Amino acid sequence: MVKNKIISYTAVFSVFLLILTVAAFSTDYIETVDDSAFEKKTRPPAAFFHDAHNETAGIDDCSVCHHLYEDGQKTDDMSVGMECSECHMSAPEDSAADLIRAYHLQCGGCHMEQKAGPIMCGECHRKN
Amino acid sequence: MTHEIYAFLRGPMVWISLTVFLGGSVYRLASMWRLAKKKDAVIFHYISVFYSLRSLLHWVSPFGSLNMRKNPAMTVIAFIFHVCLIATPVFLSAHVILVKESWDISWWWMPDHMADLLTVIVIGCCLFFAGRRIKRPDVRYLTSVSDYLILAAIAAPFITGLWAYHQWPAFSAMMLLHMASAEILLMMIPFTRLNHMLFFPFTRGYMGSEFGAVKNAKDW
Repeated sequence: MVKNKIISYTAVFSVFLLILTVAAFSTDYIETVDDSAFEKKTRPPAAFFHDAHNETAGIDDCSVCHHLYEDGQKTDDMSVGMECSECHMSAPEDSAADLIRAYHLQCGGCHMEQKAGPIMCGECHRKN
Repeated sequence: MTHEIYAFLRGPMVWISLTVFLGGSVYRLASMWRLAKKKDAVIFHYISVFYSLRSLLHWVSPFGSLNMRKNPAMTVIAFIFHVCLIATPVFLSAHVILVKESWDISWWWMPDHMADLLTVIVIGCCLFFAGRRIKRPDVRYLTSVSDYLILAAIAAPFITGLWAYHQWPAFSAMMLLHMASAEILLMMIPFTRLNHMLFFPFTRGYMGSEFGAVKNAKDW
């Protein structure tokens, strides 16, 4: 009896741990691209459903978007968990326009190359 | 297909329209210069920078000329129209960002709600000018179909831009029309009556010099 109880407790705890682990690494909650560096928002944040986007686009490698450069060279490391502004608005002369430029070239640039995905202002910066 | 059209309008078509606009402007100014030399060579003897600028300054100042003081409503509307017409596209956030993307240079942009208001003013002014051409007999007498077409060509990028900004139905298609209509408008400048944009300093220089240096009179 006691043994059975231990097994069932362990099972429940394992499932709980699994759910917690999945939840901790889940990116399904991401629905917009936003950055705390944008203090004053000119347009609504770009609509972006992280997991659905990567599934549709067939992107498995996080570094495709979460790239990391050192001395102008792309490294094998990734910038997952960092805000884009940590690099793209880090120079003293950088303004919000530089960060906007980085986002637009990253997202729009790929969409233009792939001939798929939103390319015009209102297609990402949705008003509703 | 949308991606291809967008890429064309944002890429090659920008250069085509800029080339036609700038090249056409140089051509029109050069050919007008040649015509003046042939038909009105005497102007080159008395044209003066001082009288040219004196005339120009009066005509670019609100109520700086007698004609403007006689038509205050038209004066106010015409000045507001021209300021909004130039300022809106130059200082629109979306346009500055596009330039920043392409050439990594940027400048001040106005808040979007301000651009919204200026756009509506431009469209309203176009309607006023069209109405004036229909209503006033003296203006109607001087009006041809091309005058309405020019007004429509000016209003088109502003109407489509407003539409795309507010994301009204089919705004993506409207955005493509916005880009195309603006590029057409740019190319129209040297070859239609919109060429007053190029010629007005010379028109004032001509009149200002004749009235100032020859007749000792004011031309404002």
